[in-house]
Amino acid sequence: MKRVVILGRDAPLWLSASVLQAALQPAGVTVTAIELPTKLYQSDVYATLPGIEALHARLGLDERDLLRGTRGAYSLGQNFVDMLGGTPAFLNAYGGYGAPIEDKDFFGYWVKAREAGLPAGFEDFSLTAAAARQGRVMIPDEASEAYGRADYGYHLPAIAYVGGLKSVATRLGVGVAPANHIVVDRNEAGAITALVADGQSVAGDLFVDATGDDAALIGVMLGVAQDSWRAWFPVDRVFTARGPAFDPIPTYAELRAWHGGWTALYPGQATTHVVHAYASAQTGDEDALRSAGAASGLALSDAVLRPSDPGCRAEIWAHNCVAIGTAACALDPVHNLDLHAAQLGLIALLAHFPVGDDTAPSRAEYNRVMRSSFERLRDYQAALYALAPYPGLFWHAGREAAPPATLAHIIATFRARGELPPMEDDSIPFDHWRALLTGLGVAPGSLPPRIDATDDAEIAAQFRRMLGFVKETVSRQPTHAQALGHG
Amino acid sequence: MVEAAPLRIVIVGGGTAGWMAAAALSKLLPSRDYTLTLIESDEIGTVGVGEATLPHIKVFNDTLGIDEAQFMRETQASFKVGIEFVGWDQPHDRYVHPFGTFGEPWAGIDFQHHWQRARGAGVDVGDLHDYSFAIAACRNNAFELPNEDTKSIRSTYSYAYHFDAGLYAAFLRRWATARGVERIEGKVIDVVREASNGHVASVTMESGAAIAGDLFIDCSGFRSLLVGQTMGTAWCDWSHWLPCDRAFAVPSLRTEPLLPFTRATAQEAGWTWRIGLQHRTGNGYVFSSRFTDEERARDVLLGALDAAPLGEPRMLRFQAGRRAAAWAGNCVAIGLASGFLEPLESTSIFLIQAAVMDLINLTPTRRSGIDPLLAAEFNRLFEVHYDRSRDFIVLHYMANRREGALWDHVRNMELPDGLAHKIALFKASAAAPDYRYGLFSRDSWLAVLTGQGILPNAHSPLAEAIPLADLESQLADLKGRIDVNAADMTRHGDFIRSYCAAPALEPAA
Repeated sequence: MKRVVILGRDAPLWLSASVLQAALQPAGVTVTAIELPTKLYQSDVYATLPGIEALHARLGLDERDLLRGTRGAYSLGQNFVDMLGGTPAFLNAYGGYGAPIEDKDFFGYWVKAREAGLPAGFEDFSLTAAAARQGRVMIPDEASEAYGRADYGYHLPAIAYVGGLKSVATRLGVGVAPANHIVVDRNEAGAITALVADGQSVAGDLFVDATGDDAALIGVMLGVAQDSWRAWFPVDRVFTARGPAFDPIPTYAELRAWHGGWTALYPGQATTHVVHAYASAQTGDEDALRSAGAASGLALSDAVLRPSDPGCRAEIWAHNCVAIGTAACALDPVHNLDLHAAQLGLIALLAHFPVGDDTAPSRAEYNRVMRSSFERLRDYQAALYALAPYPGLFWHAGREAAPPATLAHIIATFRARGELPPMEDDSIPFDHWRALLTGLGVAPGSLPPRIDATDDAEIAAQFRRMLGFVKETVSRQPTHAQALGHG
Repeated sequence: MVEAAPLRIVIVGGGTAGWMAAAALSKLLPSRDYTLTLIESDEIGTVGVGEATLPHIKVFNDTLGIDEAQFMRETQASFKVGIEFVGWDQPHDRYVHPFGTFGEPWAGIDFQHHWQRARGAGVDVGDLHDYSFAIAACRNNAFELPNEDTKSIRSTYSYAYHFDAGLYAAFLRRWATARGVERIEGKVIDVVREASNGHVASVTMESGAAIAGDLFIDCSGFRSLLVGQTMGTAWCDWSHWLPCDRAFAVPSLRTEPLLPFTRATAQEAGWTWRIGLQHRTGNGYVFSSRFTDEERARDVLLGALDAAPLGEPRMLRFQAGRRAAAWAGNCVAIGLASGFLEPLESTSIFLIQAAVMDLINLTPTRRSGIDPLLAAEFNRLFEVHYDRSRDFIVLHYMANRREGALWDHVRNMELPDGLAHKIALFKASAAAPDYRYGLFSRDSWLAVLTGQGILPNAHSPLAEAIPLADLESQLADLKGRIDVNAADMTRHGDFIRSYCAAPALEPAA
């Protein structure tokens, strides 16, 4: 497998090209990127989880340069707001919550104390959440690491970010061929042998389909169907638009639930990106656009309408073709996990890159791991629709649908005991699950009895210590403007 | 608020499972909320399997706050940093499954890829097993507590114990009863169930006394009195993968040196174990009655001893498998009442420990009552633990080049789902099984895969990040660090003498 040919566009293309090139060049692998016309608009944004930092580091992408170049922003989590007012807002932060007490998880102690009248919310014990609430960026140090994980992601305006990734790929030596028209050559066994890009043939051993929802290779050419996840996701239409930047710029995203769907705001330095999701059976497109303006409270421009059709490719790697990004798995737009999913696919591809004479086991392993990884993301996303207590037909329908069996088990266990069943290949940390489920009003009916062995005075003392530490630590953190180099 | 009455937990059966459960529950559950009662009869012998353990047992003991040296003295214990397999691929070959890592993850890539790359390039790299510090310690009969400096090669292993399971149960019994666990002597002759939901209301003792409870922990051994017999939970038979169904066990005189590993030697119709304790050596022959007869098996065991036997071999009967669920109604089976895997990889006590700790998390509280949702999660974890352990044990059998009807049978049997794939993946790409939950670790899989002669044909291209010449010198340096440090270690027997010498005990069966 010496020649990798990637067909696609936008972040999946350039992330794949640069990651594969950087990792495989020493092994003599050549990477060629065939670039299709972009489908991005000025309003598009990628939100990232903290893990992207490690990937950027592999590519030599400096954080300061990235945020300066894209005019993006730090993001410490996502705030969930019920616009109709019934449910208190909560922040799902990209960091840990609380510190263990006597080696036992913080969470149970918090639930117990809360029932006994503790005013402090779950997020008050999170360095990351508390920093976000104050418009600061939480920079971890030794003391904060000892307390708990503090981390952040970014909001990256898509066109600028993709431009940056493309320069990285080019700098790393990826061969680039722009194309509008593609013909695929296959052998008798069905494997792809070459792509003819605008008349020019590019032969390869392994092909990556990074064509997004076109799934031009894996779906159209190889005929691998997408297993639909429609039953769990009411959203089938998404507007993206943009409005003016906030001042100061918040260090978190915000999801605002309205009666017919949700509107997410992703602050950047130059603009605020807005994603507006709804169900076409309930809301017409023009009504939706109007409500996007109302929900965001911003004068919106550059609105783009796209369908959303969530599901996972039955085989993510078929023959000698691996799908990365939406071509592999079309996620629901909530939590903006597309880049995270692409990253998972690339890391797994590096771990199981085909070698030797028998590549079938690597392909089978890749398909097994990615299927499972995507289903865990699906469960995390579907949890919002299955549980959100927000008013309106859209939310009501979500609660009525039976969740996937694995998610049903996760919710049932959490409800029964406040415990999260450990699931293989789940890339979402337990504290994110806890923050989400708790924020959506799922209250554990009982708790692990071990925590009752700690006496109440000790718990109260520990809580005071934690709240003091969070307050003191967060007050020393840079403001967003300072972190972005404006201050 | 009125204090609710405590929940009554009744453990039926002592032995290792019963007393591990009693000890951990008494330590970790708040005493005002639970009463713990354990019923056992001195007339019923315990099986006392699993004199050899896995490193997790140290976490268990530490959680209880048990003093290591004291526990080792009182159970005649020795240290264990691996399991030596003799003759499992071909007669007389040997390898160690170490409780430690292989090499170091250079350039962020698992070590075996680097090793395979050098090997594939014709470099004389030797065996993968030459790059494990724990194996080097085994080869030198050496033991020391691991170094806490994670940069040191002397930190790259963990350890378990060999102990007398009967003495361990007795140790935990003293420990648990001192913490308030009530022990009731006697036999259970009947079980009384609730008419409404079939839950067990009480067990009736031979004396006529009824012991009522809210939750019953079934540690009744193979009998599986509550979960098997009473609740009628189905049995999943695994004897088509693990055909051994009998074992003879006999202790023998202690020999020198004291080995810091368990030995498992393949035999014509199964395998023999050898476990060196301070006061004696434990031996046994696990065999399949389909492929040998009992008289012959007894002779094979006695012929395999390296010192005089201390008594007559005792025989056990069993079948590999597990219950379809370990938690049914208000009964939770732990230990042999929940399933059986032959002790080839010392999983028995680990499986008890995992079930005890999962139960402590998911156990009924006054508020939850008996909740089937909690049972569902417990049973899911129970399956993960048993099934993953099973696949790892089956691996030893299927990859053999021995002669004999048993060995032909297991070489050709159809494998459990997923195991054939793991093997094929390793052969094709050197990628080792790597999952987050349940036994066994990546390094354990590597040890047994390569030990059984399953070698990769290719390596990850990411390994090429290191120039081959650099890799060669890194490998030589690593091997040198392992050899030099292992040669410098204290002999296991000397370490035991200074750390936890046990009182001389009449070495009896």
